[in-house]
Amino acid sequence: MSKNMASTKEILATPIFANNPVAMQVLGVCSALAVSNSMQTALVMTLAVTFVLVFSNLIISTIRHLIPNSVRIIAQMTVIASLVIIVDMVLQDIAYELSRQLSVFVSLIITNCIIMGRAEAFAMKNRPHIAVVDALGNAMGYGVILLGVAFVRELLGSGTLFGHEILQTIENGGWYLANEMFKLPPSAFFLIGVMIWAINVVQRKRG
Amino acid sequence: MAFKKDTVMGTMIFTVTLCLLCSFMITGTAELLKERKLAKQRDEIKRFVLIASNVEVAEGQDFRSVFDERVTPKLINLNTGDAEAMATADIMNFDERMAAINPQTATKPKKDTARIRSRAQDVRVFEVRDGQGKLASIVLPVYGKGLWSMIYGYVAVEADLNTIENVVFYEHGETPGIGDFLNDPEWTDKFQGKQLFDDKGKVSFSVVKGGAKAGDVHGVDAVSGATMTGRGVQRVIQFWFGTEGFQVFFDKIRASEAAR
Repeated sequence: MSKNMASTKEILATPIFANNPVAMQVLGVCSALAVSNSMQTALVMTLAVTFVLVFSNLIISTIRHLIPNSVRIIAQMTVIASLVIIVDMVLQDIAYELSRQLSVFVSLIITNCIIMGRAEAFAMKNRPHIAVVDALGNAMGYGVILLGVAFVRELLGSGTLFGHEILQTIENGGWYLANEMFKLPPSAFFLIGVMIWAINVVQRKRG
Repeated sequence: MAFKKDTVMGTMIFTVTLCLLCSFMITGTAELLKERKLAKQRDEIKRFVLIASNVEVAEGQDFRSVFDERVTPKLINLNTGDAEAMATADIMNFDERMAAINPQTATKPKKDTARIRSRAQDVRVFEVRDGQGKLASIVLPVYGKGLWSMIYGYVAVEADLNTIENVVFYEHGETPGIGDFLNDPEWTDKFQGKQLFDDKGKVSFSVVKGGAKAGDVHGVDAVSGATMTGRGVQRVIQFWFGTEGFQVFFDKIRASEAAR
């Protein structure tokens, strides 16, 4: 029992840094590049991915003994796609403007390899409550990278955080010259690269 | 009998059940959100009708209450020119686009100059009254093909049924950047005060390439680089105010005014 507890904690914690899905497995990078130019979009995207990941893992893990082997990938896709459509509809209802900013990237959660990967690699082999813990851990790992990148990009690119002015830009009569590069997707490449390096260094030190 | 998942039968049963469950999940959500979505669509219509009819919404005032106070939506049968008996709430929820493609409620235009393929028998129009309760303008929905896409808009006609109060184009899929002038108030403002018909009652409105001459009461400047979009707008207006559009409806109003 105590061994089981420890492993639950491990399942939750490892994907956040040690085995981060974006930084270590380099999955789901497309959306991480596209929606990380402001904290708000990054947060909403993280919540959407968390919802889909948790429920897809839960559902697939619950029905894992019923899924025929020959159609298992299709079955996973069906569940994931349905969940994404629901998220998309709800998002359009409660935050229409934001859903327009996220545009196709909400629908593209369907093809996000993190979700597919967790369903195939973890949920198919484990009991539902463990699968949910794994989903939460991976969603947090995705969120940490997304919000971390968005923090730097919004702060240096627009001088704001969640739309609130932190560094007053020269255009608004302040002193800070906004770095336009951080508004563009390639900057996320550099930032994610730096994060991968940092996580690797820490990992190696720990041995 | 135990469920044998890896047989052909088992696979079939599983996939069909899973697909059914997933579709129930999606339709359930859609059904839950339907009323809120309809409310949003109604608000959009209200906003655009107020823009088209030049009704000002003061700051701090809710545009919905202004709409309810000044505007009466009506469903008009284009073939007879009469208003259909229908509650206001139902009229606001009337689905124009479904009505236009449903063979039971739509007909093929004889001369389809606006290239709309089929036209609904009923259209939703809006009577706008001024502060004193006098009819100020009628807002009429128009649509038709530009270069690539259907252009949707509202034309507000003053009580003389000839002078344009204002227009608004709220949806189009023309070339991004080039067709965007449709949403630009600087361009649509040029429609204000233009006349739809000439002395003989023929639709003479036009979008003039090279710019309308000073004093041209029927012409609006075309935008260079967007010849086809401009031509589309001209055809849309000419179609909808012609014999297969609002003409019967307008004749009916004129007749009832003459009788008074």
